[in-house]
Amino acid sequence: MAEQSLSGLTDQQAKEFHEQFKVTYTAFVGLAALAHLFVIAANPWW
Amino acid sequence: MSDVAKPRNPEDDWKIWLVVNPATWLMPIFYALLVLAIAVHWVVFAVGLGWQ
Repeated sequence: MAEQSLSGLTDQQAKEFHEQFKVTYTAFVGLAALAHLFVIAANPWW
Repeated sequence: MSDVAKPRNPEDDWKIWLVVNPATWLMPIFYALLVLAIAVHWVVFAVGLGWQ
């Protein structure tokens, strides 16, 4: 058995998945920031 | 200290997937995020910061 990672993914697969993960996570943070701006506009909590 | 190479982030962030298999753990991660989001909204409404 060749050198295998703990998760079983190859370096290439891990890098490829991480690229998509970064895109989706960035979208999530963007949407959350937008939602917070709406709340600040409507009803600031300070 | 030991001569183990120190990780350099964010360049080495992708290596988490060499330890955590997303085929197994991506959905549990999403569900944990959902639970956290519900908990945060619950607290925010509980302390009266929600719309009323």
